[in-house]
Amino acid sequence: MTTTIDAAGDAMTASPAGGPAIVTRGLTKRFRGGQIAVDHLDLTVPRGAVFGFLGPNGSGKTTTIRMLLGLVTPTSGSSSILGAASPVQALTRVGALVEGPAFYPYLSGAANLRRFDAADPSADPRTVGRRVAEALDRVGLAAAAKKRYRAYSLGMRQRLAIAATLLGPRELLVLDEPTNGLDPQGTREVRNLIKDVAAGGTTVFVSSHLLAEVEQMCTHIGVMSTGRLVAEGTLTELRSASVPRIRVETPDSSLAAAALTAFGLTNIIPAPGEVSAELGDALPERVTAALVREGIAVRGLQVVHPTLEDVFVHLTGEGFDVEA
Amino acid sequence: MSKVGPLGEGLSVSAGVQADSSAVSAGPRARSLSGDGPESPRGALAGVRAGVRLLRSEIGLTFRRPRNLALLGVLAVVPLVIGVAIRAAGDGADSFVGQVAGNGLVLTFAAFFVMLPLVLPLAVGVVAGDSIAGEAGLGTLRYLLTAPAGRTRLLALKYANVVVFAVAACALVAVSALVTGLVLFPVGPVTLLSGSTIPLAEGLLRIGLVALYAAAGMAALGALALAISTLTETSIGAIATTLVLVVVAQVLQAIPQLAVIEPYLLTSWWAGFDGALRDPVATDQMGQGLLVFAAYIVVCGSIAWARFTSRDITA
Amino acid sequence: MPKRARAVRWGVPIAAIAVVAGAVGAGPVIAAVQGDPVLPERTAQQLLADVGTRWKSGELPPMSGTIIETASLGVPGLSALTGEATGPVALLAGSHQVKIWYGSDSQIRLALPSHMSEHDLIVNGDQTWWWDSAANTATRIKTPPMPSEPALPPAVITPQEAAERALAAADHDTAVSVGNDATVAGRAAYELVLAPRAATSLVKDIRVAIDGETLIPLRVQVYAKGAAEPAFEVGFDSVTFSRPAPENFEFTPPAGAKVQDGEMPALDQDRAALREHAEDGELKTVGSGWTSVVVLPFATADLAEGEKQGHGPGLAVGAMADGVLKAAEPVSGAWGNGRLIRTKLVSALLTDDGRLIAGAVTPEVLYEAAGRK
Repeated sequence: MTTTIDAAGDAMTASPAGGPAIVTRGLTKRFRGGQIAVDHLDLTVPRGAVFGFLGPNGSGKTTTIRMLLGLVTPTSGSSSILGAASPVQALTRVGALVEGPAFYPYLSGAANLRRFDAADPSADPRTVGRRVAEALDRVGLAAAAKKRYRAYSLGMRQRLAIAATLLGPRELLVLDEPTNGLDPQGTREVRNLIKDVAAGGTTVFVSSHLLAEVEQMCTHIGVMSTGRLVAEGTLTELRSASVPRIRVETPDSSLAAAALTAFGLTNIIPAPGEVSAELGDALPERVTAALVREGIAVRGLQVVHPTLEDVFVHLTGEGFDVEA
Repeated sequence: MSKVGPLGEGLSVSAGVQADSSAVSAGPRARSLSGDGPESPRGALAGVRAGVRLLRSEIGLTFRRPRNLALLGVLAVVPLVIGVAIRAAGDGADSFVGQVAGNGLVLTFAAFFVMLPLVLPLAVGVVAGDSIAGEAGLGTLRYLLTAPAGRTRLLALKYANVVVFAVAACALVAVSALVTGLVLFPVGPVTLLSGSTIPLAEGLLRIGLVALYAAAGMAALGALALAISTLTETSIGAIATTLVLVVVAQVLQAIPQLAVIEPYLLTSWWAGFDGALRDPVATDQMGQGLLVFAAYIVVCGSIAWARFTSRDITA
Repeated sequence: MPKRARAVRWGVPIAAIAVVAGAVGAGPVIAAVQGDPVLPERTAQQLLADVGTRWKSGELPPMSGTIIETASLGVPGLSALTGEATGPVALLAGSHQVKIWYGSDSQIRLALPSHMSEHDLIVNGDQTWWWDSAANTATRIKTPPMPSEPALPPAVITPQEAAERALAAADHDTAVSVGNDATVAGRAAYELVLAPRAATSLVKDIRVAIDGETLIPLRVQVYAKGAAEPAFEVGFDSVTFSRPAPENFEFTPPAGAKVQDGEMPALDQDRAALREHAEDGELKTVGSGWTSVVVLPFATADLAEGEKQGHGPGLAVGAMADGVLKAAEPVSGAWGNGRLIRTKLVSALLTDDGRLIAGAVTPEVLYEAAGRK
């Protein structure tokens, strides 16, 4: 494993600014009970990307994030953020929101931010007042700065946690489910905030179990399922990777299925009253002509482009918005 | 004592830079990178400044927390209660504590005599037991570590904060008892356990000695509680375990058949503060006590370090 | 590798524990490594003679130090009692500390520290004080102690006194030899071994460590037969041969303390009582040397009474009655019936006809004495 690290380290130290923001190689976490939370994860997040880390609850997203941030030691494999050899060396340039907000209930929002700023050895104490005020302002908590955290609503707590990630100049934001507990208005604000931060050149790594959310703000997507990365790429790549299907409405579906097979289509699914098949590169009009030639009663015909959701359900075997 | 080296080294390195250990890649490269910081004087100075800032934040948190303020309140009130009780009961007792009625300064010693077995350990145990487990329970530990506070650095500063609290707690008891004694009773030269009498100024010096010795004993307890605190994610569990250990140790201490283990128990050395009340001061006994405290701090501190720097933060 | 890193990490506390354990055990280890100190060879006779001359020639050199007294006599029910007691009585069981400052025969201070209290005996010229901080009482002792018989509590035996007694016992029924040199309080010492010749004695031997330089007895150990650890030990834990500061011997009763005139509290009364018993002919000894046993009239009713009156440590046997009697085993023989109490070092027989027979001997010797009415 030492060799893996060194190889990764060399690659990253060679071009610290240009290298990927996050690299993992064979990253694995097996908990003491024996269950594997993350299984040989090879992930690359390019600089400047807004990376959507998508997967159902329990698919290993949070464990991966904890390993990236050095909170959990991997069982095997390696990870690196911002080209640093160890997470701690990079963390001053990283803002992180891990598994929901956690603050001191008896301190005000502003005092809480000061507390975490004090823990960062690279933070400048002279500018802390300004930076805290700015961060609170960015998440719309300026008015509640002096209020005790105990009195914050769920949405305000989530906003404060996001504010904490914005206390300093960041090269990377790691946001674990950032819109949890936010109302639609808050969700939209966070989305805009992320776009805004990304526009400034910061890499953003957002985990979510909500496809729609990721689809709306991410440039890259990685899909986790039971500890494995099942798909990774840009949004367009993933969309184009999906194959369109042709759906034929007909009373004689078995005949139609035979005709489609004869035409050379694959993955044919006959059903009562209809039959579908993978279209591939074939032209729909040719397929129609072939069906008509065979004398099959075609009542309707449709070319179906699968949604991202269909793709992910196909990849992970379940839906993402189970909780939504 | 030379074996303390690795721990001390670890502390200084990570005070300078956040050299952390949990790193997947604590290989040779990590070491050389982290070594750069403390070697340059400016880096070291900045590291110390940042450390002081976090320590101030810790202390601020400790002394602003309502629960801790309540504990300090109890520490301040107990000597007052003892004083008032003695005042109300009159000087019936012939014992050392009975002398309080004749000399207010003695109330300080009486206060430590009464509070060292349980009240002071309670206060220090709560703060120290809470130090890591409390942050883990709140979830703030993961944000401190991603800030990044650095594990060794955070642990060292948490312990420094516990020591500050222990000193403050003992000083508070001494001051509260002193003020109560001055107000309620006459004050004059102090009679020591050995029967000799020392002037007022030396009496105050001995009070300071007692308070410092007690603070050292409480700092040792703090190290124990800190080690327990790294083992769990519930602060109540860590605090309760610490206090149960204190009580069990004192029960064992009271069983004559178990006299053999008495010198190894932390609690049996707390009582050694009475060495400051003898003539001449029982430096051998108190010195041995301080060595025992130091041993507890080194052993418990290194256990806490080993555990905290290798543990997965899943809370 | 994370596993290896974790193992390395835990190596630090393990090393720390090893260092502390090493420091704790360093004393014995260093002593073992250094081996026995080597002193100029002296036979038992030479040693006794040298010690004798040194003692006759007058005063001990000025010194101060700490004496540790450890008794594990194995008296059933004793520890429960003495756990509560403070002061001299407590010395009968467990381990205790006495600090000593010795300037000359007329300048002695003994301090018995216990938690938040202290007993002090201060002899300065013609003044002798007994200070009890718990009772806040200073007692002016009437008769200054004779140099030949220091007015120490009998349980607080200085090495000097203990050695003197041991040497006095060295007659025809004792095998006297010089054992391996020992280290006591960091000083090289001769070890004089006194072993009883009588098989019926419970004492294996008495070892007296005598400082190689000053010939001051530094330690006395009494070994019972079949025991690896001494049943009774009194010796210096630390000692310095220099004149203690004069203020150690100054004592002025503090303001507010009770000042009274009297004898050594409790102790002398008991001695007087013993003497009285002997003069009345009630107390007698049977046998001689190591196997001598004391016979005195004793009824269990006396025990309860003695307890009530709070007799001092000399007859503290009374106060321990309950616990000890419970552990006594009923015995009978040609001499009659009674109850036998066995400890490591002492056997005692309480006969039903109201006699207490005790000695550092096997029960058979007691039965024999019981038969001689």
